[in-house]
Amino acid sequence: MAITVTEAGSATGTIIYANAAFEALTGFPAAEVMGRSDRLLHAEETDRAVLDQLHAAVAQTGAGTAEVLNRRKDGTRFWNRISVTTIRDAEGSPAFSLATLAEVTGGPPPANGHAGQQHSRPKLDEARARLRQVQVSAAAAGAWEWDIATNRLVVDARFASIYGLEPATAELPASAFFKPIHDDDRMRMRIAVAGALQGAEVFARDFRVVVGGEVRWVAARGRTYLDDEEKPLRFAGVLTDISEQRKVEERLYIAQTAGGVGSFEYLSGYGTAEVSEEFCRLLGLRPALTLPVRTINAVVHPDDEAIIQNRDGQIREGAAFHECRITRADTGEERWLASRGEYRRAVGGGVIFAGVIYDVTTIKRSEAQLRLLTESLEERVELRTQERDRVWNLSRDLLNVIGPDGLQRSVNPAWTTLLGFEASELLGSSMDALVHPDDLAIFAVHLTALRRGELTADFDIRLRSKDGTYRWVSWTAMVQDETIYGIGRDVTQRKLLEEQLRQSQKMEAVGQLTGGLAHDFNNMLTGILGGIDMARRRIQQGRLQDVDRYLDAAVTSGQRAAALTHRLLAFSRRQTLDSRPLDVSTLVRSVEDLLRRSLGERIELTIDADPDLWPALADESQLESAILNLAINARDAMPEGGQLTIRLQNAHFPPETLEAKKAIAGDFVQIRVADTGCGMPPEVLARVFDPFYTTKPVGQGTGLGLSMIYGFVQQSRGHIQIASDEGKGTAIHLLLPRYDGDLPLTREVESEPPLSGTGETVLVVEDDPAVRLIVLQSLKELGYHSIETQNGKEAVPILQSNRKIDLLVTDVGLPGLNGRQIADIGRESRPHLPVLFMTGYAMEAADQSRFLTAGMTILKKPFSVDEFGRLIAVILQRSPGESGKPGH
Amino acid sequence: MTAQIATLEDMERDALTELVNIGVSRAAVSLRKMVGQHVLLSVPSLEVVSRSGAITLIREREYGQLVAVRQDFDGAFSGRALLIFPESNSLAMVRAVAGETLTVEEASAIENEALAETGNIVLNSCLATMANMLKQPLTMSLPEVIRSNGSLLFEPRRLESGGGIVLFLYINFAINNHDIRGYISMLMDLPSIQALRLLIADFIRQVMGEEI
Repeated sequence: MAITVTEAGSATGTIIYANAAFEALTGFPAAEVMGRSDRLLHAEETDRAVLDQLHAAVAQTGAGTAEVLNRRKDGTRFWNRISVTTIRDAEGSPAFSLATLAEVTGGPPPANGHAGQQHSRPKLDEARARLRQVQVSAAAAGAWEWDIATNRLVVDARFASIYGLEPATAELPASAFFKPIHDDDRMRMRIAVAGALQGAEVFARDFRVVVGGEVRWVAARGRTYLDDEEKPLRFAGVLTDISEQRKVEERLYIAQTAGGVGSFEYLSGYGTAEVSEEFCRLLGLRPALTLPVRTINAVVHPDDEAIIQNRDGQIREGAAFHECRITRADTGEERWLASRGEYRRAVGGGVIFAGVIYDVTTIKRSEAQLRLLTESLEERVELRTQERDRVWNLSRDLLNVIGPDGLQRSVNPAWTTLLGFEASELLGSSMDALVHPDDLAIFAVHLTALRRGELTADFDIRLRSKDGTYRWVSWTAMVQDETIYGIGRDVTQRKLLEEQLRQSQKMEAVGQLTGGLAHDFNNMLTGILGGIDMARRRIQQGRLQDVDRYLDAAVTSGQRAAALTHRLLAFSRRQTLDSRPLDVSTLVRSVEDLLRRSLGERIELTIDADPDLWPALADESQLESAILNLAINARDAMPEGGQLTIRLQNAHFPPETLEAKKAIAGDFVQIRVADTGCGMPPEVLARVFDPFYTTKPVGQGTGLGLSMIYGFVQQSRGHIQIASDEGKGTAIHLLLPRYDGDLPLTREVESEPPLSGTGETVLVVEDDPAVRLIVLQSLKELGYHSIETQNGKEAVPILQSNRKIDLLVTDVGLPGLNGRQIADIGRESRPHLPVLFMTGYAMEAADQSRFLTAGMTILKKPFSVDEFGRLIAVILQRSPGESGKPGH
Repeated sequence: MTAQIATLEDMERDALTELVNIGVSRAAVSLRKMVGQHVLLSVPSLEVVSRSGAITLIREREYGQLVAVRQDFDGAFSGRALLIFPESNSLAMVRAVAGETLTVEEASAIENEALAETGNIVLNSCLATMANMLKQPLTMSLPEVIRSNGSLLFEPRRLESGGGIVLFLYINFAINNHDIRGYISMLMDLPSIQALRLLIADFIRQVMGEEI
């Protein structure tokens, strides 16, 4: 709307202000009209009487309205509705006049009676059209005047434009006022207008109009003018399109309502603040546009900062933020609010504090709950820790924590109880110090595995207690973040019981063995003694023809006894093995006939040998015996007949596959003996290598077969594996170490008759008088000269003397120096002295290849005179000449 | 406006607002004649609240002492009408009505008298307008000026009618370019409200029936 401000005091004031709308309406730029009289708009045809009336009204009441024909800068005319208000100074005298100017369509309302249309219609239309353009862009207000008596409505171009009416519509029926009003607002507007028409003087309503399908918000501000009899005469006012403003307000309203944000603005020094509806709602106050600051601040908790502060305007500029508790005015509920605002200088002096408030109760409560939770969490953790500590302290198991450095970080009191060490003696030290030397390796293996990443470990080790005794402790350990947590249970008692059980089992086995052996030996001794006794009787009786028969019987019994002891030694892995390179294939073929005879006709024997079979390193006779033994077992497992397959092949076990089986890696010759017999249930399979375990009826087996084979294979550094399927058969694999080299072409022939000695001197060391007697006697009969000694003490001086000695024949097991030591002493002065060891049992001599050096031979007891004589002859032939001479 | 009591529908409230507007406009005419000055009165909005709601409302919006002109009315509808000003506004009101040239002392001396007369004109016009529309007689007591905080203002005429409602209106006085805010309150019991609703319904019917 065009506005001018003129100096008061004269009817034609000087213009001191004109706005942009003024220029749009009149064509006079604001700068051009400043300081000029407002008469510059008046044309020669302007009705002076109306102007006078206006001036009179203004002078009398301070305000007035008139419609006059004015001219624009370009000379065109327009009907101008002028409203003047007087602005008074502090003393109440008129200081300025504020005038609003608006073009009125179709001239002055008829009620006014100042028609005076003296210009041509086309010219006016042209002006209106131009004006409309200007007004649309200037968003000027449209005016209306409602003549109550005639019920006619007169509107200007802008009003017509807003209402979507033809600009030329000069006069309308009053009902046109309601026509474009939105249905939802029409009722309310009819009531409001009804009030105005019946004498309510002030009219102010916002409502929607629908023009061309578009909804616009308009603000109508009007007055009802009364006639001299105080009857309503006309209802006039201006209409402004406030759609944009309304849109902004609605957005703001939605933003505030949806966001729960209330806004406020306060000018320092005042008692009230402008607030939004949401602001009131947040405080629990009734919605209002202004509220006393005291009302606002009264809801704030006395200990907290007020919402509106700095009322004296001390703070000139800057942002402000604070939180406070409020007690809602309506419900009394306590809420937390945050206030965020800004101080800025007001144009007219003072400081404006504008800002927003919003509810932060939820956040505050969450914070409080979180704090509470944190506190209670600490309590709970404390409680848990106590519980854990209790377990730690009360546990009878050893609990410890080992750091990545291998040192103990903490130990529980059970360590003191069990081992007697104070915690201070254990902390910071390695557990190694306590571990039994024999268990250190196992301990290290598990510790390494844990460190390597295996999460848990279970193992038993012995730990030294403070008094020096050891306790068996079974450990379960786990690792986390390189720290090892261990739980150790004292299993000493269990270990003791296990040991006792093992011992009693051993004793039981020994008892069984002893009983069985005694029985067998008694039988054999009966044969020997009986035979000798009968021979002696026949000699006394002179019946010499029968002597040989009885002596043969005695010898047979003696040989059986020798075979039994041999087997016993094999089982005890203390037999003397004569491991030599041998061709297993040839060996098996050589016993094939024997096998077929033993197996009988119902069992089909297949021998399948790898043509490129490696030579093996083993004791030939033992292997023969083992294969026979296995064949017999297989036969017994196949009473209805079946197949027995002996397969010979090369086998290689890489180290990694064998680690778990505790076998030695490398190349092997595999002998697989498989039958199609009844097989074995798992419980039997688990015990097959146990000595004296037999499934055969009493008297049919000693139960030593498989255990002897096991002993033989183990001692030969091979492996034995057994697989059995109950009802399908059994397969046993013997793995003998490969001999890396060529086989010797021939073996020494042992069937030559004994060669007689030629008076060579043989030094005999033997503590057993019976054996010594036989040996000396044999030597004498074979034609050797012998020196008799009982032990090293007697033999050594002779060996160290200059006496001629061609051969040393010594027992291995002797009191004092053993046979090997005597031989070594002898070799010091007689480096090439041949030595023949006689042994019935000798751990040291169990492996000949290791025990013997060049020029040494072993002879297993018992032996025959023939055997003895042949061997001596061979030895003495091998080292002719210099053999007996001392080296110095 | 959640605190409002749903005794009147939106339309009825609009209509009642207009009735009061007509009333205060008539009062303005009277005041213009009386003081020979430019006077405009208007009531932009109306709230219907309980008695305690009215106390809360006035306490929230006005801090401190209030000055009120009170008149009881009897007839087709009965009750108690009040014209309320914040104490600070009342003196400005007196000076606007009685003349700008009065000193503060002079204004204070005639304050009660001037307030009573102004209140009488305003309240009478409002109620008379309503009664005229009902074509029913209405008698009004003499105006009395009371100063109080909220609770005392809204005490009912009779103890037993404590459960009545309060029509709460803002009133703007534009006198000689001074803007003075105040409130008009009407305490009524439920039968009176029912009678008032009939009046309002009549007014609405009249408005709707008009073929303009």
